[in-house]
Amino acid sequence: MSLLEVKELKQHFTIKKGFLGEKKIVKAVDGVSFKIEQGETLGIVGESGCGKSSLGRTILQLIKPTSGVIHFQGRDITHLSRKEMKDVRKEMQIVFQDPYASLNPRSTVRTILEDPLIIHGIKSRHKRMDIIEGIIDKIGIRKDQLDRYPHEFSGGQRQRIGIARALTLSPKLIIADEPVSALDVSVQSQVLNLMDALQKELNLSYIFISHDLSVVQHISDRVAVMYLGKIVEIADVDELYQNPLHPYTKALLSAVPLPDPAQMKERIILQGDLPSPVNPPSGCPFHTRCPQATPECKAEIPELREKSMDHWAACIHVQPGQKQSIRTSIS
Amino acid sequence: MLLELQNVCLELKRNHKYVKILDEVSFQVNQGETVGIVGESGCGKSMTALSIMRLLPEKAKLKGTIKLEDEDVTKFSKKALEKVRGNKLSMIFQDPLTSLNPLHTVGKQIEETLMLHTDLTKSQRKQRVVELLREVGLPRAEELVHEYPHQLSGGMRQRIMIAIAMACNPSLLICDEPTTALDVTVQAQILELMNSLKKMNEMGIIMITHDLGVVAEVCDRVIVMYAGKVVEQAGVKELFQNPKHPYTKGLIESIPKLGERKQILGSIPGTVPAPDKLPSGCKFADRCSYAMDTCRRKMPPMVHITNEHSASCWLLEEEEGEQFVTSGSKRIETTLHH
Repeated sequence: MSLLEVKELKQHFTIKKGFLGEKKIVKAVDGVSFKIEQGETLGIVGESGCGKSSLGRTILQLIKPTSGVIHFQGRDITHLSRKEMKDVRKEMQIVFQDPYASLNPRSTVRTILEDPLIIHGIKSRHKRMDIIEGIIDKIGIRKDQLDRYPHEFSGGQRQRIGIARALTLSPKLIIADEPVSALDVSVQSQVLNLMDALQKELNLSYIFISHDLSVVQHISDRVAVMYLGKIVEIADVDELYQNPLHPYTKALLSAVPLPDPAQMKERIILQGDLPSPVNPPSGCPFHTRCPQATPECKAEIPELREKSMDHWAACIHVQPGQKQSIRTSIS
Repeated sequence: MLLELQNVCLELKRNHKYVKILDEVSFQVNQGETVGIVGESGCGKSMTALSIMRLLPEKAKLKGTIKLEDEDVTKFSKKALEKVRGNKLSMIFQDPLTSLNPLHTVGKQIEETLMLHTDLTKSQRKQRVVELLREVGLPRAEELVHEYPHQLSGGMRQRIMIAIAMACNPSLLICDEPTTALDVTVQAQILELMNSLKKMNEMGIIMITHDLGVVAEVCDRVIVMYAGKVVEQAGVKELFQNPKHPYTKGLIESIPKLGERKQILGSIPGTVPAPDKLPSGCKFADRCSYAMDTCRRKMPPMVHITNEHSASCWLLEEEEGEQFVTSGSKRIETTLHH
């Protein structure tokens, strides 16, 4: 049984446009399905506005999904009451991007870490302190710093506190929404190493949402690429980075500047920007920017299909089995 | 030589006392060359750029010389500055939405620069604006002139900023994190545009960024700054292949690289000290895994390794030290957090 299984998840927002109250729908997440096992990290990449963050929030039920099913530890959590959901929340937590905005400036670190424990009914103060001290020891905050306020810490330390807060209830799954994007590279690597170490120690699963392809490659076991609310490709991390099938994944990977001036690579430069999710293009959402687009692409929405072992892509121009045959011929 | 900074020091007033922000910054930019300035936030990268533009707070104390084509910018009067800015000297900022005026059309904002610095007639200006929009790769230039910044996407806005900066064919263009707010695919478009503009116009570019990937992609030479000081400078290939300063090494080791998976990333413990709480001696000593007694007592001198490559570190002073540094990159890798 997978820890988390998401099936055909949709998150549509209604927005009002114009003063006549004309309604429009933004399909932020549009039919996303995937599974995560215990101890695994799924990376989700895509440009801004592709629905990565909405997906994370929908899984946590911070916003109710429009349709679709989320199974967590085998249990359907989409139709739970608030009270029942509270129990599930112990098991799934979130770490936010901005370590400045996500910690209450008027609370000490002790209060920030203690609150979730109080909410979830750990009555003994002594026990709460035991848990907190155990966690801050893991994340590298000293005991004498517990009574300080968030502004007394640096960005990296604050992000560690954010991670500690997510860990207090010993969750199974942590959704990390751009957890290192606001940090400098040297501090970013400290936080990534910490997340890695915690995962091994506590057998955590992560959904790691980021726009930075190098960071996602470093931390993930599997990676999903999103474009306009849909997963366009999902595969094992090494497979996806070495053998990308979808033209969008190829373009994304080629656009990343490499920190090595000796290594120059062929670059696919996409024209234009991400289309507005209010009016997504017909057919394949990527056809407006795709270098390989043909008239057929406008006509039908390509389905996410398994093109080779555990490598799924949504493009009609990628033939299934292509890669497999090459592989068998080599071996 | 296009630009030469010599011993530039900057002090700003913070909480009623002056704090040193830049400490003896010296470097040069040649014509047709792109020089990158890298470092963590709070290292003085942006302040260096603002000092060159003289866009500093009123009570700032600026010392040293900043020579732009043999004229000292630090001695310029307000009027002389107005003549240079946007003309010979242009700047692009990180966030194109806040740096464009939301109340004026795109065309008007580009035209403004032309009105200030050229003798073109109204119709000539209009024509030049359309030309500029085409040069920066924007579609339907004629219609775009009448649109407002909020109608455009982030990438298009940054192209408008570039068009404004390029309007008078500047000899030096300063870019402060020009692609940080953009998505990778759009970043690739903008970097390509800047590279082609540079080739066309033979201008010098100062590229301030924290992204070492961008540096490797567009820069010829790199300046590494830490706590208001230049700690290393070298040609771009040399810097990535043979970094000498432990700080530069730490930065390079800490980026996850595409196509290469490591178990543990290198990292630099701690953070940049606040400008009013700088240690004496080498500013990096507290975070450096090779720090010796000397480092905490005395500031290391700038050591010239080759003509193009210099770094300021006590380890480079002795032969022994040098070997230590080159064999030391493995140690950084194994240094864990905390």
